[in-house]
Amino acid sequence: MELDAPQIRGRPLDGDEDVARGFFYRSPDCFRRTGKGVEVRLPRWEGAILAELVRLIDGMLEPPPVDDPLEALVGLRDTAPPPPEDPALARLLPDPYPDDPLASGDFRRRRTDDALGHKRAAARRVLATLPGPGEVLVLDQDAAQDWLTTLNDLRLVLGTRLGITDENYLDELGELAADDPRVPFIEMYELLTTLVDNLVRALFGDG
Amino acid sequence: MRNNGVVTTATTVSPVEVEELDEALSDDRPWVTVVWNDPINLMSYVTYVFQKLFGYDKATARKLMLDVHHKGRASVTSGSRDEMERDAARLHTYGLWATVIQD
Repeated sequence: MELDAPQIRGRPLDGDEDVARGFFYRSPDCFRRTGKGVEVRLPRWEGAILAELVRLIDGMLEPPPVDDPLEALVGLRDTAPPPPEDPALARLLPDPYPDDPLASGDFRRRRTDDALGHKRAAARRVLATLPGPGEVLVLDQDAAQDWLTTLNDLRLVLGTRLGITDENYLDELGELAADDPRVPFIEMYELLTTLVDNLVRALFGDG
Repeated sequence: MRNNGVVTTATTVSPVEVEELDEALSDDRPWVTVVWNDPINLMSYVTYVFQKLFGYDKATARKLMLDVHHKGRASVTSGSRDEMERDAARLHTYGLWATVIQD
């Protein structure tokens, strides 16, 4: 598990070195708990990036095809969809029975559509409640949960794509050259880390 | 048993068959949902999910999270297989890596 973000991110800017690497400390002020709900505000760049990422993930969350037209009509699968080939999607839909492919298949048959549907609905809710630059929106409990789901899903997808298999990834990835193609994705990952941590604290009542 | 006035006699069952049936029915060892450590999810987030999904207080949720973090895994709920599949599915909704095993 990763340590809570502020403990490793709460270091002051280390001058030019950090800026050159492209990593910089982001304000944790994006989510704030109030009596009316959770306020969300996003700086311009962060908002634009988030919108793009959410649209991308929405595309990933389409249900696997159903061959039988009757099954498709009824909305119940008779056969198990295959395990996801995309490792990022596989991370969003973990295998509950790693030693029992038949049981896994049956679980997928019964639950994949609902799981993907829930995540898709959450992503679309986020797109619908994304504040523009300078805007502040208030999220009720349901919407805040959807934000948390989607932000964390994005983190899982990005983390999987970056090949993060170790909690000390920063040590490895921190040594990248400034023009390494992975750098922008690490920045996005860092942004999502701050956002998830900030939102959790707002929901806990610490933020 | 009476069925529309027709009396049916129960089929006799041998003692061996009864024993085997008893064994099959008594495999009621509880099922358990296990959460596994992963390098992506934040500790604060995992603690929140345990509180939110299972109603644990903060201290218990934090202890469970630390078990996952330090020991690599922790059992978070137990019950029937069906209940555990539901819990695993809910944990997957929150991006946690959960599996189902029989105790």
